[in-house]
Amino acid sequence: MGLKPATNPDVEAATIELTIDGKTVTAKDGVSLYDVIASTGKIIPAMCYHYTFDPFGSCGMCLVTQEGKKAPVRSCTAKAASGMIIRTEGDDLFQARKKAVEKHLSVHPLDCPVCDADGHCELQDMSFQHGVTNLATAKQKLIPEDTRSLVLDFNMNRCIACGECINICKDVQMIDALQFMKKGGFNQVVAKGDTPLACAFCGDCLAVCPVGAITNKFSKYLYKPWQLRKTTTTCNYCGDGCQMSLETKDTEVVRVTSLLSWKNKWGERSETAKGHGGLCVRGRFGFQFIDSGERLKQPLVRQSGQLTPMPWLETVDAAAERLAAVKAKYGPQAIAGLITARCTNEDLYVFQKLMRAAIGTPHVDSSARYGHLNFVRAVRRSLGVGRMINDSEEITKAKAILVIGSNITETNPVASLRVKEAIRVYKAQVVVADSAVTNIGKLASHPLLIKPATEGLFIQALLKASLEEDLIDAEAVGKHPAAFAALKQALAGVPLDALAGATGVTSAQIREAATLFAEAPRSVVLCGEGVVRRSGGYQQVLALVDLLWITGKRGRPGCGLNTVVEEANEQGAVDMGVAPEFLPGQANYGDDQARARFAEAWDVTLPTGRGATLMEILKRCRSGEVKARYLVGENPLATLPRSCDVQAALEQLDLLICQDPFMTETAKLAHFVLPACTFAEKDGTMTSQDGKVQRVRETMDSLGESLPDWHILAAIGSRLGCTMDYESAQDILREIMKLLPGYYNLGQTKKIAPVADAYLSEGYQPDVASRFSSRVTAQAASGRTFGLTVGQLLYHSGKLSTRASGLMTIAPNSGRLRMSPADMERMGLTDGSRVRLTSSAGALELGVQSDHALPSMACFFPEHFNEPPVKDLIPVETDPVTGVPAFKQTAVSIEKV
Amino acid sequence: MSVGALTKKILEAALFDEIWDAMKVTFKHMFYKPITFQYPREQRTIPDAHRGALGLLRYDDGKERCVGCDLCEAACPSRCIKVISAEDKSLPLQRYASEFYIDITKCVFCGYCVEACPVNALAMTKMYEYSTHDKRTLLFDKKRLYQIGEQHLADAKKYLYTHNQEKNDDMFHDYRYFFPQSVVQSTQPPPRHLTS
Repeated sequence: MGLKPATNPDVEAATIELTIDGKTVTAKDGVSLYDVIASTGKIIPAMCYHYTFDPFGSCGMCLVTQEGKKAPVRSCTAKAASGMIIRTEGDDLFQARKKAVEKHLSVHPLDCPVCDADGHCELQDMSFQHGVTNLATAKQKLIPEDTRSLVLDFNMNRCIACGECINICKDVQMIDALQFMKKGGFNQVVAKGDTPLACAFCGDCLAVCPVGAITNKFSKYLYKPWQLRKTTTTCNYCGDGCQMSLETKDTEVVRVTSLLSWKNKWGERSETAKGHGGLCVRGRFGFQFIDSGERLKQPLVRQSGQLTPMPWLETVDAAAERLAAVKAKYGPQAIAGLITARCTNEDLYVFQKLMRAAIGTPHVDSSARYGHLNFVRAVRRSLGVGRMINDSEEITKAKAILVIGSNITETNPVASLRVKEAIRVYKAQVVVADSAVTNIGKLASHPLLIKPATEGLFIQALLKASLEEDLIDAEAVGKHPAAFAALKQALAGVPLDALAGATGVTSAQIREAATLFAEAPRSVVLCGEGVVRRSGGYQQVLALVDLLWITGKRGRPGCGLNTVVEEANEQGAVDMGVAPEFLPGQANYGDDQARARFAEAWDVTLPTGRGATLMEILKRCRSGEVKARYLVGENPLATLPRSCDVQAALEQLDLLICQDPFMTETAKLAHFVLPACTFAEKDGTMTSQDGKVQRVRETMDSLGESLPDWHILAAIGSRLGCTMDYESAQDILREIMKLLPGYYNLGQTKKIAPVADAYLSEGYQPDVASRFSSRVTAQAASGRTFGLTVGQLLYHSGKLSTRASGLMTIAPNSGRLRMSPADMERMGLTDGSRVRLTSSAGALELGVQSDHALPSMACFFPEHFNEPPVKDLIPVETDPVTGVPAFKQTAVSIEKV
Repeated sequence: MSVGALTKKILEAALFDEIWDAMKVTFKHMFYKPITFQYPREQRTIPDAHRGALGLLRYDDGKERCVGCDLCEAACPSRCIKVISAEDKSLPLQRYASEFYIDITKCVFCGYCVEACPVNALAMTKMYEYSTHDKRTLLFDKKRLYQIGEQHLADAKKYLYTHNQEKNDDMFHDYRYFFPQSVVQSTQPPPRHLTS
């Protein structure tokens, strides 16, 4: 690192003293002079400076005079030294800075009126501030605009060569997609190798560009910054909980900007440990679904087989009447509810209250059941906490990170920056175990390519290696000798070499990984969809807790077990009790005391007995036990494989209510289709994966007649005789605050400490016996040698993003199976040739395309698209403990046709 | 009152002297040229600097001057202008107004929008007759504004010259015509106003 060293938590820098404008200032040794001046509150103009990366020193604006030097010096690239005497103000400095502005302006076209950055341009501000009205010489670069990229346009006439875009791409994103190239006599920013830009499209370069040299294709020339209404809200795509600014013009979303911008450029490098304020491609360019023409604008009711529009009042009355009729005829147990975890906490709370208090059924579940509950249930059982343990700062400052089964740069790109910063700034050792060649693996010190579906065996191998290498923390295991003995015995069955062989890495590599994980002072585990969404995910998370325990990392500050989630509010769904096993605040539903507390607050008696989970509800629909379903934002027909028989189950129902912003496949079968708002049109809060409760703000009026989810739910609840007289989301928030004091934390993660030694002293021994595989079976007995994974793409999130035209432009559905180039060559396939894909659940014919990220014997299809229906090939396996369905991976055979 | 004065008073009253006196002015004016205009049969001559209805202008070759920069909208004190801009896909870097509205009922005829325009696409004309039974027609859209601009092109140009907005000079014409500079090839010659 250069002049902007990050605060290393292990080393404290020496203090120096220098004089700035006659005042003595103390500063850390080795930092940039510019930062020292900025820390006194003085702002010197600088156009190429941003706190997230090292000073670049190209703009020539940050001039100061230093005693003993004749000419002014650039303060950003000068190192603060003891005894310096610095002057930052004065007419000579003003004139020198003015000259620098003139130098930039002399090759800058004066096309401000048509420039997208007009009014939000640092060069404009500087010209105004320094009173530049006349230019002696003006020259035009006459460079044609580079419009080759799908997302960004590069107008190098306007470029001032500050290098901010290149630096943020290289230093913060670690993608390094841009470079300077001398073309036509000028230094220009081009994509690496002067090719069309094809990167992660995070758009951070766009955010930090102080002029209009990089512009956004999706909102080009549609606006002037002052016309837009800017509202800061929480992104709805993944669980990272990024704050973003939706900029709207009437009922049209024009663009999305991040808190990261050239405007807020002053800060300490160490502040980026909490996040740098940027967004990813989904957040920044995937906003078009909000004001999409496909949105539902009117309530629809099925009348004589046809969905026909009906006014809201009548629709709500009819829906409540039908629900009451089902309840009267079959009892409340015949009604079940399912809600998406993209809703706000308030929506989720009202939903479970509607189901439990107004209707009286315990069958309520959310889409957190598709994976996150595996993690929550496991850490609750073993550690007594209900979410991931570390906040983003602790992950950044970890010394060893184990990323397992998580293609984190694709699924949660902003969370992946924490790992990248750990690698770059804090020099962390990172072990990445994944069945694909991931981008984080390319940056990691120990990338391990394991065979598909062997994450569990890999964890077992790590535990085994820790035992064999004697990496055991005597103090931690000493407290629970019986539990440790049970663990040892459970692991005794399979030798390390056999495990290593099955996972496809050598035992030496596993030993090395285990050693660096155990020996680092702060070790962090990050597990993703490769663990929690696969069969046996619950047990694998428990095994990771074992690893933390025996290496003495459990409960140690800066260490812990973490996950990343796919949908924005999966953590909130669990916290709000939208799961049959939990009440709000993750109170145990079986706990009579907790149930009595909520029953009293809601003035009802709560149903007893265990509620059905997502898969059980589906089974009960088929058997006729469940007669009515209320779906909020969920589309099980497009999510679950055909073997679940969702269509038959839904067609058997007496009543199906779908509440969704869009006409989904499931909604087409529904009796009532209620148009809901997207996150941009409602108020509320969302809980990110690391427990930050953040605001979602209303950025524009609801489209058509659509209403916020809580509003519709409360209207139906009130008609069913439950008191739900909420006038705004604020009222619900107040009710939750009363019931769950301290839940709203204003976006500041509260530290949680794992408490449970209880689990190790009782209940552990029978558990651990069944946790590990006792023998390693060779797969491929059936001849299905390929591992098919259905997973997430960087450019998409669930099915929601397929409604965003911007993201569909970047990543359309190719309808092709991705395979490794080596396999394709071996089988004599080229891009576009067709293959037959056979699994235990069926067969399908489709085209192929090569994907360099895949290792040999692996193939991949994005989960966002059902055309062709690759998901139907995968058998569903439901976890016996948590009821989480696993339907993302299976063994297949591929034949050329 | 003396007898003489009384007699005079009676005589004046009998002869309607005061009425004659007043009518004298009236009859005198019968021989003057009238200053009343017989509007609408007669039209007044209006000075070139007059601030009348706004119109949008084109270049001599028919190209729209407006680049959709929204600066008029920003300058308008009564907020009566609305510009919706878009990218002209056919030409690099060309921005244009896909829609343009002026609510003339709200307009206070200050002329700030004309001053703000970087390409002098807007100008005020001598047109002031647009009274109507339907108030909605007073929301001038892009088509109507270009129509006004075409009908009153000479007046609009005079307005710009009088207000020192535009010089009748080739170099200045070029500057506006080539704004923003459309770069198709890096080898193309720079426009005249930049070479000289």
